[in-house]
Amino acid sequence: MSDATTLTVVKMDGELDIGRRAEIRHALAVEGNPSGVLVDFGDVTYADSSAISELLRFRNDLNRRGLPVALLIKSPQFKRLLEYAGVNEAFAVFDERGAALTYLGNAAS
Amino acid sequence: MPLVFLVLVVPILLGGGHLVSRVLRESFANSDARRAARTLNFTLLKDQLDEETGVRGFTSIADPEFLDPYAAARRDFPGKVSQLRGRLSLLAIPGAEALLDDAAGVNGQWLAQVAAPLLADPHTPEARVVQFRGKALIDRFRRDSERLDSALVAREQGDNRRLQSAIDNVSTLVFVAVSFVVLLAAVAAGAQSRLTARLEAARRRAEAEARANLELRTAFETEKRIADTLQDAFAQRPLPVVPTLVFSAAYIPATDETRVGGDWYDAVELGKGRVLFSLGDVEGHGIEAAVNMSRARQALISAALIDADPAAVLRRVNGYLQSAGRMATAVAGYADAVSYEFVYATAGHPPPLLLLPGRRPALLDCGGLPLGVLEDCVYRTRRVQAVPGAVLVLYTDGAVEHSRDVLEGEALLVQAARRALENNVTDLAASIRTEIFGGRQVGDDVAILTIGFAPGETTRMTFASNNAQGTVISGARGVGPVPSSGSLGAAA
Repeated sequence: MSDATTLTVVKMDGELDIGRRAEIRHALAVEGNPSGVLVDFGDVTYADSSAISELLRFRNDLNRRGLPVALLIKSPQFKRLLEYAGVNEAFAVFDERGAALTYLGNAAS
Repeated sequence: MPLVFLVLVVPILLGGGHLVSRVLRESFANSDARRAARTLNFTLLKDQLDEETGVRGFTSIADPEFLDPYAAARRDFPGKVSQLRGRLSLLAIPGAEALLDDAAGVNGQWLAQVAAPLLADPHTPEARVVQFRGKALIDRFRRDSERLDSALVAREQGDNRRLQSAIDNVSTLVFVAVSFVVLLAAVAAGAQSRLTARLEAARRRAEAEARANLELRTAFETEKRIADTLQDAFAQRPLPVVPTLVFSAAYIPATDETRVGGDWYDAVELGKGRVLFSLGDVEGHGIEAAVNMSRARQALISAALIDADPAAVLRRVNGYLQSAGRMATAVAGYADAVSYEFVYATAGHPPPLLLLPGRRPALLDCGGLPLGVLEDCVYRTRRVQAVPGAVLVLYTDGAVEHSRDVLEGEALLVQAARRALENNVTDLAASIRTEIFGGRQVGDDVAILTIGFAPGETTRMTFASNNAQGTVISGARGVGPVPSSGSLGAAA
């Protein structure tokens, strides 16, 4: 089903809070049938509970569609927040882009 | 309005009717008199002529039989004159009575000067002269009679005109009056209806305003009552009094207007030395968040009464909130005064802070997805061995995310807890709050709950503290950078 050559990248930055909920939801609405999705939150420093719940719902959606997802995180504060929320248990989380891409490549093949 | 109509119209109609009926009555009476007068006048003329004819016949033929009409006329004449006079006086026609008088006089003259000599001697030599005088008198009588008749006819025409005019006048009057009244009634009705409409509109506006005010006031009072009730329920839920356990709590609403937020804490004695604790945060602020918070905390207590395992409790509450479409984070568990253990599980919630006498405060493990986001989440129960004097500090994310740098927030919290411990404060939660926030405005709600084992039970402390160290260290996480956990991702 999946097209091995395409990879969807979702990139956001700054602080993700309830004021950006619609934007987050829109960004995470992945269409089509890519081989995988890289959520590049490398420049995100903060996410409140509403942003995190969007992220979790997104993961659930992609899981149902059988699409592998990698979450790229760099800010230690943000990483700690995701730890509170157990997001690191639900996602494949990476702090380096290459590792994330490798993971997606392996998952797709 | 109908009263005005009656008052104006009824007298006019009655008056007009009365006038018409009077004129008609008069007119009928006059008409009878006139008719009778004309007949009598005519009869008198006929009598006069009968007399004359009779006398003339007698004169020519000298047969007394010719005198029968004369005699009859002569006999009836005076009575008829008197009757006619009565009618004429009733009719009061100017000059009419004079004409009758003249005619009666002429008749008298004729009887004296014509009839009498001829009857006395039909063959008198002056017969011819007498006949001529008689003819003149008869002509005069006839003229009088004709004039009288003309006067009566004229009177009849006048009466008819008067009747017609009276009827016309009355009709006009009634018409004008009725028109006036109808117009007045219409104008008044218009004014009345406009006034009624204005009054009705004003009344409706007033009612609508009153209703809106009432609704507003009701809504306001309802909201205030709910807010107060929830706030009171929140603020007043008593912390349990248990030997060997010490509690403190603090709650800071985000702002004064939204006193009630989505944060809660509970400590409920379960028996056998166990005290349930729960602390959490439902998404949002205000009444709706407060209501959802209330549901979540009750659901949590209910689940805890069924299940002793905190992870199972959170799993149940997750199912409940997920079906309700509400998101919350929570930490729940119990303090066991017999085993000196803290047992807890977290769901998307910041880590509990453990304070042990003589040791650095330590943030414990956390994790687990927030409640109400995804179905079938699995949570993990963690056990921490405590000692007398050990305190577990639970807090909502507002306590560490106020600057949006959660690591800095954690450091501040740890520092605040250490200071509070050093100062040996009685109300630990309030002291931590003050250390963190001072008098600053708080962006988010903050709830803090501390559960501590009473210090000073030497035997237990010795026993437990030896046991505790290893467990605590293994379960706790120090403050500092978090190791990357990339490999954990394949969870699903």
